[in-house]
Amino acid sequence: MTITRRNVLLGATAVAALAPIASRAQTSEVVIGVLYPLSGASAQQGVDAQKAYEAALDVINKNHEFDLPMAKGEGLSGLGGAKIRLIYADHQGDPQKGRAEAERLITQEKVCAIVGTYQSSVAVTVSQTCERYQIPFLSADNSSPSLHTRGLKFFFRAAPHDEMFTRAMFDFYDALKKKGTKIDTLALFHEDTIFGTDSANAQIKLAKERGYKIVADIKYRSNTPSLSAEVQQLKVANADVLMPSSYTTDGILLVKTMAELGYKPNAIVAQAAGFSEKALYDAVGDKLEGVITRGSFSLDLAAKRPMVGAINALFKEKSGKDLNDNTSREFMALIVLADAINRAKSTDGEKIRTALAATEIPGEQTIMPWKRVKFDEMGQNNDADPVLLQYRGGKFVTISPPQGAVAEPVWPMK
Amino acid sequence: MTAQTIIQSLASGLLMGLLYGLIAVGLALIFGLMDVVNFAHGEFLMIAMYATFFLFAFFAIDPLLSAPLVAAALFVFGAVAYLLIVRFAVRAKANAGMVQIFSTFGLAIVMRGLAQYFFTPDYRSVTHSWLGGKTVSIGGIFLPEPQLIGAAVAIAAFGGLYFFINRTDFGRALEATREDAGAVALVGIDKNRVFALGWGLGAALVGLAGAIMSIFFYIYPDVGASFALIAYVTVALGGFGSVFGAFAGGIIVGLVEASTALLLPPSLKAVGIYAVYLLVVFVRPRGLFGSM
Repeated sequence: MTITRRNVLLGATAVAALAPIASRAQTSEVVIGVLYPLSGASAQQGVDAQKAYEAALDVINKNHEFDLPMAKGEGLSGLGGAKIRLIYADHQGDPQKGRAEAERLITQEKVCAIVGTYQSSVAVTVSQTCERYQIPFLSADNSSPSLHTRGLKFFFRAAPHDEMFTRAMFDFYDALKKKGTKIDTLALFHEDTIFGTDSANAQIKLAKERGYKIVADIKYRSNTPSLSAEVQQLKVANADVLMPSSYTTDGILLVKTMAELGYKPNAIVAQAAGFSEKALYDAVGDKLEGVITRGSFSLDLAAKRPMVGAINALFKEKSGKDLNDNTSREFMALIVLADAINRAKSTDGEKIRTALAATEIPGEQTIMPWKRVKFDEMGQNNDADPVLLQYRGGKFVTISPPQGAVAEPVWPMK
Repeated sequence: MTAQTIIQSLASGLLMGLLYGLIAVGLALIFGLMDVVNFAHGEFLMIAMYATFFLFAFFAIDPLLSAPLVAAALFVFGAVAYLLIVRFAVRAKANAGMVQIFSTFGLAIVMRGLAQYFFTPDYRSVTHSWLGGKTVSIGGIFLPEPQLIGAAVAIAAFGGLYFFINRTDFGRALEATREDAGAVALVGIDKNRVFALGWGLGAALVGLAGAIMSIFFYIYPDVGASFALIAYVTVALGGFGSVFGAFAGGIIVGLVEASTALLLPPSLKAVGIYAVYLLVVFVRPRGLFGSM
């Protein structure tokens, strides 16, 4: 055969067309971007998250006997045993840095998906960036309801959002009221980014629907040097329940300031965040006996599902801490994502997206009290049942919903 | 809004304001002495808080007792920072202003990074100190003891500083160097020693503030940032270079912050501070008590 220009071109095209497939088949690693605050005011959450992802990576990349997707066998079987590699980036809690880092992860580091981000305000910009590049974004621990209602195709969240959490709180109030406990007035205390704002909106809406009176709605500036004025207003309102939505720093300052200004609320029901962090209890735990927080995780589950205890031990070895509301969700996020990539048998964004949309993981194959992981058309898992936890004697016990509770609630708190 | 609410807010604002003043005085002192803004001022506060925390965690020394130790340690730290870094930055032939900014700004970033590396980003807290969580109640007005002590320390430190500057030889040398650094060299005063002393004093004052604050505030590598910003505003409001101005500025900032939180939604309380600041800068660009 004579070599014509036409043949050369055809051959080149064929080689070019085959090349990506060949390299894809040989993919020995799958790169995923992990975006967290690793410095700045929330660095502690980012560093803890890293440990949670390392634990999940261990489960995925090494052979374990847990009844979790991806645990058995090494790496992703659907991609010839490819291992997952994580690239961490620091957004410092700043939405603009989050956007820039997401862009860098996608264009420079060629990640095939991103997980993150702790702060919902950062998840807003990161998920938009991912949408533009058609790369799936798995929100591990962001709870703002408005995140999944923006019509993004590449946004997924396996965990509950704050409307679901808030509903659990009001179900709990209703149940207590039925038994004769006096709960009429609520005081909201929330920080001023999307997390606090969305949380308060959900609380206001449900309070109206179910006939509770909001006697104080205090929106404060996050990382403020002083909360005296804010606490003063809470004290004057003296509601039956104080409902804070605060990150750790503000949570510590809130509790310290309450003690200083002689304000002892009847009950605190917190929207997790700072109130699920060990650091907060190390600092002011003695003033929080009986505080209630919502959660998506409970170590009590280990009694029913021994795997939860084993994974907690794996995490504790790396971090020195027990899994909590945030780290458990982060752990599960990587498992869910790895499962989808495995089924997609590809690192192509669109294919992973399709696989994520088809996800169906039964609750028993997670470390959470969820019914299952199945995303609706907006990428939200509506079967992620929240729990309410009460802090007693230095640890959390599950008090609601009734099917998951191991103890009766103590009300009012001490 | 009851009278009690108003009095409580103003009292809280005043106590906080005295602390803001104590933090800002060191900044004003250094600026007044040699026209250098210490951008690592917040990080000085941060290491003072960590020092207090570690003395408490390892040796169970109450912050009230360790405050003088921490202040002394910060004095040395401040003087060394001047001798090792700032001394060379101010000598820069080209772009001296920029070099000064970057040297102290760089110092801030390095200190923050080292703190995160060595101390981890975890939030620390001094639990169970003598005054922690204690509060005095007068007619329904709550005055937290840590802040009361902080206010007393602030007033005493300011008095001491005032005495030191106006009544001692070193103070007079400080004042003279402030007025004309070139001329004092002619009469045999070692300019570098005076500057080092100024940096030491400035750091010691913010060290005192850090020690007291660790009783009621949480501690982490970035803790200085939110206070440093207020300190810069306080210094600018009170008047650049005026130690008295910084102190008065602190009180004004504390009171304005508290009253804004009372009148507007608390998330806007910083607006009041910056509004007053802008107003002062418009009407009197050198600040309320500025002399330059």
